[in-house]
Amino acid sequence: MHQHSSSRVPLSRRSALAVLTAAGALLLSACSGTPAADTPAAGTPASRTGAPVDGGTLRYAVAGSPATASDDPHGGLGNESDVLRFALTYDVLTVPGEDGRTRPRLATSWKPNAAMDRWTLTLREDARFTDGTPVRAADVLYSLRRIGGKAAENYGRLADFDLKKSTAPDEHTVVLATRAPMADAPRALESVTFVVPEGTEDFSRPVTGSGPYRVKQTGAQGAVLTRNDTWWGERPHLDRIEIQAVADPQARASAVTAGQADVAGSVSPAAVKSAGTSEKTRVVRRGGVTEYPFVMRLDTKPFDDPRVREAFRLAADRKALVDTVFLGYGKVANDLPTPYDPSAPKDLPQRTRDVAKARKLLAQAGHADGLSVTLHTTTSYPGMDTAATLYAQQLADIGVDAEVKVEPADTYWTAVYAKKAFYTGYYGGISFPDLVRVGLLSASPTNETAWRSRTFDDGFARAMATANEARRGELLSGIQRELWKDGGYVVWGTGDGLDLAAPTVRGLPDGPGFQRMFIDQAWMAR
Amino acid sequence: MTLRAAGRALRPAGRAVALAVAVTAVVFTATELLPGDAEELRTTGRASQEEAAAERDRLGLDRPAAARYLDWLYGLARGDLGHSLAGGRPVAALFAERLPATTALVAVALAGTVLLTAAALAVTYLRGGRGGSAATGLAAVPQPVHAAVLGAVLAGLLGWLPPVSLLPSGGSPLSDPRLLVLPALTLALPSAAFATVLLRGALGDVLRRPHVADARLRGLPAPLVLHRHVLPFLYAPALQVTALLTGGLVAGTALAETLFGYPGTGQLLVSAVALRDVPVIQAAALLPAVVLLLGMLLADLAARRTTATGPARHPGPALPDAPRGGGR
Repeated sequence: MHQHSSSRVPLSRRSALAVLTAAGALLLSACSGTPAADTPAAGTPASRTGAPVDGGTLRYAVAGSPATASDDPHGGLGNESDVLRFALTYDVLTVPGEDGRTRPRLATSWKPNAAMDRWTLTLREDARFTDGTPVRAADVLYSLRRIGGKAAENYGRLADFDLKKSTAPDEHTVVLATRAPMADAPRALESVTFVVPEGTEDFSRPVTGSGPYRVKQTGAQGAVLTRNDTWWGERPHLDRIEIQAVADPQARASAVTAGQADVAGSVSPAAVKSAGTSEKTRVVRRGGVTEYPFVMRLDTKPFDDPRVREAFRLAADRKALVDTVFLGYGKVANDLPTPYDPSAPKDLPQRTRDVAKARKLLAQAGHADGLSVTLHTTTSYPGMDTAATLYAQQLADIGVDAEVKVEPADTYWTAVYAKKAFYTGYYGGISFPDLVRVGLLSASPTNETAWRSRTFDDGFARAMATANEARRGELLSGIQRELWKDGGYVVWGTGDGLDLAAPTVRGLPDGPGFQRMFIDQAWMAR
Repeated sequence: MTLRAAGRALRPAGRAVALAVAVTAVVFTATELLPGDAEELRTTGRASQEEAAAERDRLGLDRPAAARYLDWLYGLARGDLGHSLAGGRPVAALFAERLPATTALVAVALAGTVLLTAAALAVTYLRGGRGGSAATGLAAVPQPVHAAVLGAVLAGLLGWLPPVSLLPSGGSPLSDPRLLVLPALTLALPSAAFATVLLRGALGDVLRRPHVADARLRGLPAPLVLHRHVLPFLYAPALQVTALLTGGLVAGTALAETLFGYPGTGQLLVSAVALRDVPVIQAAALLPAVVLLLGMLLADLAARRTTATGPARHPGPALPDAPRGGGR
């Protein structure tokens, strides 16, 4: 993809997509994953539980920290409570579907040019802002450019688009230019492309939107939304949605068990274990949302030796890690960093724990007398420290003395992430192409494993310029095999995203990433 | 009030202002000393150098700490608290949204503190000034433990109270007073224990005074002795302890509000510290300091009035020392 990169663009702008990635205090677990397998208690789509009922109020307790609260939908999106409000009050170009594939929203269709670096999006003609003015291509382009202009705040969310060269040839058509062939462009426009009226400058209060709900009031605890009866889409069932921003996950879970809220978004497995068994709550499981891979830098001893990396992967007792860290709410993984991505190869043999082989490999690599390493971790996300501690015990069995160092959560992502040779990472459902651009190309800004492979880079560039979906999938799958064999990740499992809901709540999305924010078709049974 | 009296009242006021400014300087320095700043914590190290530089420039973080502090102070003097570095909203608006909730919580916690302290001291009085190790024990227990135990018993076991204190959207904290009970008790219990420990000594001293023994010997009923010969000596220290504890209660909301999900200024402070959002931290730290200093000032003035017969030399704890002085 590099041959098309404009030289003016600092490569690190790509870090961009890291938004969705990523590892951050302000983090949203975003992007895509595979739909959760429905458990008996799981949130079931409306269609499966009878006809939806209109009316009622839904009280949604969602992660939110007062200091990062913002009315700007184009900034850092540090607060899930704000993102939920934005997702309900603004239209976005595309949304993720249940199966992880991109669905139309404000954009009804899209078409690339032959080089895959110009995307023509057709917009709906019946979208209107709540003040009655139509939503035009100019509003879309203005909003996208504003997101691009706030790259420093939003990790360059749209950095792979050349928004200066993008145009709005008529009222309902937008032509987006990308800096390199970008076969996954519609996916990159999912969920976060909130459209505001052209020329809006004051974002110190909620700005007019065109989404399924409108803001009635905002306050310290959250926001009250009422249905926008002029919205173009399928009429939402709920009259009113109250968003309650609650920072503490345990407090969110308690709010649902005590009947103070109807839904608690993103609660911990422990809270589900204690609350989810009661009659008063249901659990919505969203698969492939949380991942704490162990990251090894290929340019640093002892991880520059592939035999050491292989031994470290063979040391992991994956089932034990999933059971302990995610309390069973998760799946064993096979060292592919994005196992939930549609492009992940399905036919690779599952790596399992093999202490004898691991010891042998270490001996061959010259560490027959043992090896001492430091494994950094933190407490940013529940279980990161547990994962490191348990893995260190597993490493001891292959003769590795791993000292676990728990670093302060505040500074972990600046002082440890992409800097130390061996640490516990975090991914929140990033797509494979996004991960590649952020961290796996030779020139990626945060190449945390120091993975530099010509064949990998070329394979990715070819895939991104390939229009045929099946062929593109093969190419992407091919470069993941290389990563599986030789890369710097120990990916032992993925944890489910967990929401708690009152039994009357129906139609909550259980698909990947930001899909959970689009709750406009939820309803309350009577 | 005479001019001299006014002057006497103004001097402590000036001192209070100086102290408040000193507090903000200390808090500012402490925040500076924490690793990382608002830009780094917002971009979590993933912005390019140019982006990071642009962001630091936009947030004003590229200037020396002293200049930033003086700027903030100058703004404060003009009544401008600045804008949040994290969300961009005006700090004054953030606080205006949350002050009513915190005010209600502190008021209820303070009332609880006074009631509990009075009850504990009454028991001490009836026992002739002895006892009170329970209070010492309670005062030594950390606040999160109070919160956990109270929550487990009152909300969990008995189910009397909601386990979290989410305010209904747009509702006032008074619309459902039950929401205030757990956070207020979490604040009031240790604070009452602390007050009891502080005032128990003063009470013991008063009880040992000859005039109290004398009154008792003359056969006056206990409540009358309390009202006429004991309480007047306790007003001044009680007021000062109250002022001290009110400041402490405001500061304590940081923890209580976070634990119970209550949307007040304490919660705001906690999240602002995590993001090094200096203007918000400064304002949040100023709040308990101002409350404390204002309270002390009022307590001093009140103490002067209640001990008006003495020359009220020192503004510190006005322990009654005149043989019979404080009666009227």
